[in-house]
Amino acid sequence: MTSIEEFQLQCTEIRRKRSETADSPTIVISSGTCGRARGSAEVAIALEEAIRAHNLENKVSLRITGCQGFCQVAPIVVIQPENIFYQGVTPEDAEEIVTETVMNKKVVNRLLYPDPQIGEGILSKEDIPFFTKQRKILLENNSLVDPTNIDDYIGIGGYSALCRALRDTNPEEIIETIKSSGLRGRGGAGFPTGLKWQFCRNSKGDRKYIVCNADEGDPGAYMNRSLLEGNPHSVLEGMLIGAYAIGAQQGYIYIRHEYPLAVKHVLIAVEQMREKGLLGKDILGTGFEFDIKVVKGAGAFVCGEETALIASVEGRKGEPRQRPPFPAQKGIWGKPTNINNVETWANVPHIINNGAEWYSQIGTERSKGTKIFSLVGKINNTGLVEVPMGITLKEMVYDIGGGIPKGRKFKAVQTGGPSGGCIPADLLGLKVDYEQLKEVGSIMGSGGMVIMDEDTCMVDTAKYFLEFLQEESCGKCTTCREGIERLIEILTDITEGRGSLEDLETLRDLGELVRDASMCGLGQTAPNPLLSTLNYFYDEYLQHIKYKRCPAAVCKEITSAPCQHTCPIGTEAVVYISLIAQGRYDEAFTIIRKDNPLPSVCARVCSHPCESKCQAGKFGDPIAIRALKRFATDYAMKNNVTYPIEKESKRKEKVAIIGSGPGGLTAGYYLAAKGYNVTIFESLPVLGGALAIYIPEHRLPRDILNHDIENIKRAGVEFRTNTTVGKDIPFKKLKDTYDAIFIATGAHKSMELGILGEEAEGVIHALDFLKDVSLEKDVTLGQRVGIIGGGNAAVDAARVAARLKDCDTVTILYRRTQKEMPAFEEEIVACLEEQVDIQFLTAPKRILTQNGKVTGVECVRMQLGDVDESGRRRPIPIEGSEFVVELDTLVVAISERPDVSFLKDQEGMEFTTGGALVVDPETYATGVDGVFAGGDVVTGPNVAIYAMGAGKVVAEMIHQYLQGKTLQPEYKVTRPSMYLDPVELSEEEVAEAERPAMRCISTEERTCSFKEVDIGLSEEQAVKEARRCLRCDLETKEGRSKIEEVTA
Amino acid sequence: MITVNINGLDLQAEEGWSILETCAFYGIEIPTLCYNEGLSPYGACRLCIVEIGEGDRAKVVTSCTYPAEEGLKVRTHSEKIHKYRKLIIELLLARCPTSKTIQDLASKLGVTRVRFSVKNDDCMLCGLCVRMCEEQMDARAIGFVNRGKDRKITTPFDVKSDVCRTCGACMYICPACQLRCHGPEPPGAVCGGCLNIEYPCLDVYEDVHCYLDPCAACLLSEAEKKKEEERKEVKA
Repeated sequence: MTSIEEFQLQCTEIRRKRSETADSPTIVISSGTCGRARGSAEVAIALEEAIRAHNLENKVSLRITGCQGFCQVAPIVVIQPENIFYQGVTPEDAEEIVTETVMNKKVVNRLLYPDPQIGEGILSKEDIPFFTKQRKILLENNSLVDPTNIDDYIGIGGYSALCRALRDTNPEEIIETIKSSGLRGRGGAGFPTGLKWQFCRNSKGDRKYIVCNADEGDPGAYMNRSLLEGNPHSVLEGMLIGAYAIGAQQGYIYIRHEYPLAVKHVLIAVEQMREKGLLGKDILGTGFEFDIKVVKGAGAFVCGEETALIASVEGRKGEPRQRPPFPAQKGIWGKPTNINNVETWANVPHIINNGAEWYSQIGTERSKGTKIFSLVGKINNTGLVEVPMGITLKEMVYDIGGGIPKGRKFKAVQTGGPSGGCIPADLLGLKVDYEQLKEVGSIMGSGGMVIMDEDTCMVDTAKYFLEFLQEESCGKCTTCREGIERLIEILTDITEGRGSLEDLETLRDLGELVRDASMCGLGQTAPNPLLSTLNYFYDEYLQHIKYKRCPAAVCKEITSAPCQHTCPIGTEAVVYISLIAQGRYDEAFTIIRKDNPLPSVCARVCSHPCESKCQAGKFGDPIAIRALKRFATDYAMKNNVTYPIEKESKRKEKVAIIGSGPGGLTAGYYLAAKGYNVTIFESLPVLGGALAIYIPEHRLPRDILNHDIENIKRAGVEFRTNTTVGKDIPFKKLKDTYDAIFIATGAHKSMELGILGEEAEGVIHALDFLKDVSLEKDVTLGQRVGIIGGGNAAVDAARVAARLKDCDTVTILYRRTQKEMPAFEEEIVACLEEQVDIQFLTAPKRILTQNGKVTGVECVRMQLGDVDESGRRRPIPIEGSEFVVELDTLVVAISERPDVSFLKDQEGMEFTTGGALVVDPETYATGVDGVFAGGDVVTGPNVAIYAMGAGKVVAEMIHQYLQGKTLQPEYKVTRPSMYLDPVELSEEEVAEAERPAMRCISTEERTCSFKEVDIGLSEEQAVKEARRCLRCDLETKEGRSKIEEVTA
Repeated sequence: MITVNINGLDLQAEEGWSILETCAFYGIEIPTLCYNEGLSPYGACRLCIVEIGEGDRAKVVTSCTYPAEEGLKVRTHSEKIHKYRKLIIELLLARCPTSKTIQDLASKLGVTRVRFSVKNDDCMLCGLCVRMCEEQMDARAIGFVNRGKDRKITTPFDVKSDVCRTCGACMYICPACQLRCHGPEPPGAVCGGCLNIEYPCLDVYEDVHCYLDPCAACLLSEAEKKKEEERKEVKA
């Protein structure tokens, strides 16, 4: 090509041809590396064959493009011109796509992207939530061009910016444009690009170089790869313009060897440019000389640092050197050099084409334009997203990312790759730009965004990233090399339970040293994950160090088996599961009973926190731990297996416990076993507290409860029923008579709805209702019963109502969706099986009454809006959607509060505004000497197992108190009391291993009686399930030595 | 000539001098390990760090590589720098406690404990030997291999080098092997046997500097006084 005009003529011709064929059918398949990993290459072949089979070669074209960003649903096929978006396409779908969609113009619904809320298929990309909030400038063209064809790029307007730059402007003007556009370096540091160019242009030198830094090394970040694979010419055009502006004669593209497809596409593109006369001595007859060389990096992370990159390009060891001098002064071969990231270069043609003003309108005050982020980790929609600067993290995570999988809670997001900081949930409103991220202790980096959920341990995370950076540090400077190593040393101590509080100070000092005094960007940013987690998740460090607890149950040497670690009473689940697997049921029961005085109760109603952290549940279903406990306790009851209570010799001290709920019973049992004289005061005629009156009989038969309580009586606990402290016996008298007191009265006071009509006849509270049924009092229900709430009380009330004769229909009104319901999932399912109607997204507005009696509820439909502090989407009323649910009885089940009025006069006792007691969080001691409190009366409404956990600690604390010791709970790392041989599973067993469904009585039988619904697992089922356990206890150092013992 | 402000004093410096060279000229002592007048600056040990700039723009740089610029404000012994230097010494001490050079620096800077596990390595990777071999002896017989914590100095492929003339310059310049501490192995890595006196003058000073190096009697008399007091206390 000898002149710009000639080239432009040729371009016009190419563009004319493209617009002529714009309406002809085209099948676009995105096939970047990510797509190919999911089989897009095979889909492309299948599509090609299908087109050929139907003789459509001349009518339908197939365009193989780079990545479109939505990697979660790859392979993606788009049918043009109808713009139909198909996801998760397999080679088997090719025939149908060609015959149905291309030939018959019919949509294949199966392949559409289902709307995450309503499940209906979405036709085109623009309507998919993942895409709607994005603003695609750089990535958009990925779907429009075949990256191996320069004419495709020219066809969409490519190289017009170059022509404009060469013909209409001069280098100074270009630099001015880039400066005023506000473009900043996309490699992460955010240095103003125009200024950088200016420095290099002004630098004295006969030869100058420019470099495209494509050494993308952040794990999980792949936007540079996507650009080079999908649209290499956009980057190359940017480089040409930059070289012209800076006055460089030679360009380098430094690209990772691990990106073979990107290397291939770039090499093809460079060759095509040369053919068109866009590279060489006299480009387009303008006298401008420039050539590009592709240099492949060997994959050292540090080579992304510019001085290390220069060393690597020169063929030396890829190691940074201290700046200054900066590359603009002394770069490759000592000549002025300008290095920019792939994404920065790709922005340049857009700025030249559309002007600096257009560009600077996008983004925030100091960060302009769009930025590509890779959204990865615990997120529903994994992929590359391009968004305007200034978008909030919340929008990224919930609107674009679609939230956290499996309804788990968001914990943190790490931006900027391994050396970025972890930003916690309360900063989700942060507007993403260079300054804001820096302010909260993170970096923009390359744009990696790793989402972490509640199952991520932040201490472990900090350690993990530091280990990566330790591997990748060049080792030249002391602070980075030695500093990171020592940080890991300390973090390892902490994650293995050997940490001390002084370590935290050392970590911070050392982290700051590495940050401030290291030679290059790698060292200077390396402590970010550590320092940010120390800032935002300090408590988690404390938990590890002080309490030997890992809240996410990740750190192996602390947790041993997560089931045991998570259990508030420390039940050795992994041990009894292993015993069941070996058929040793008696011993399994003994292990359960050792830590749990209410084993049969927990086997039925426990909220099983153990299962939520079960490792088998990470990629499948957790082990049915509660069902296995049920099996062992049923076996023991049937075969009269008793647990020998080891009682210490009698002591003279007397302990009073107020309340016979799970907390009181547990504390009572352990204190009695220690030889104390324990009396439990209960205001009701029955024992068991909430277990007896609020948990309905169909979940927990009374004889089962009494069986467990009988065993506690055997240990020597005395009970005084029908005795209300504060009424029948004053608290003061109790205090004078007994040496220590444990208050475990629970939370019974129902909360009010706060809407009109609440005082009407027929409006009752769930707990009163459940209690009356349990105590066999007269309960009159109307025919139509409505229940407001979504917790366990609401669901229990619904299932009880459904069993009562008077009642015909039961409707639960809940303001969110099933996913957000706090009740146990199995209860919700059972509820629906028992013909209870649950109206989701429904909130009461006012209660309708007639003659003082309830006749119905006026409700309003809700929709899910923004995410609130609890990580759930906040329900927002839809205006004008009011409707009436006609009812005869309305049960309110929203929440409960403790009632501690009997303690009001007690000096030294502290209360929260919610009416709960304030205690020392470690020792459960109240402000009054010798008086302890725990369970719901302290925490507010919670499940039984946590009250039992408190009861167990209180028993120990009261013991220490009565022995005159300083109260100090013992904290140690979790370990099982015995290690059992692992079982070996055959391949068939592994293949068919799955969580068994609980056997239940029929629904007909359920709705007419209070017979226990769950039957329990059969022996065969139980053993099979127990054998499925992954035996996490063997993964500690201690556990591994056990395996070695077995194998030896 | 240019003017640099060091520790509050405006000082004249030749164009092309580094901060370290300027300080050395005026007798302001900055500890170094990987620096040697006859070799190119390397910036690896980080001991010679100083603070430049002010307020939000203040940053820590290595004085051996940073050029003295007109109007530059430098603080060589600020609280932050002093804290960092002590921590660097602690790191080096944990790596190679047998180096007398490092032990002496530890004494001088008042490092009294090491919080990390001791590695007993013979090399602190200051790279003096590599540069000596290349720049002064023109042999290039040794260099760095591996990266990160596996980094070490050796001949290519760990075999005897053909270009090595066994001149011994590498050992001559080494701060670890030449000046090896032969005293009893100290518990906790800090020896302090030879130079167990406190840091000269004040621990921290932003803008003032005492130019006496090594420190004069004031310090020793201070130490004597303190010891006397301690003795009295013990007796009492």
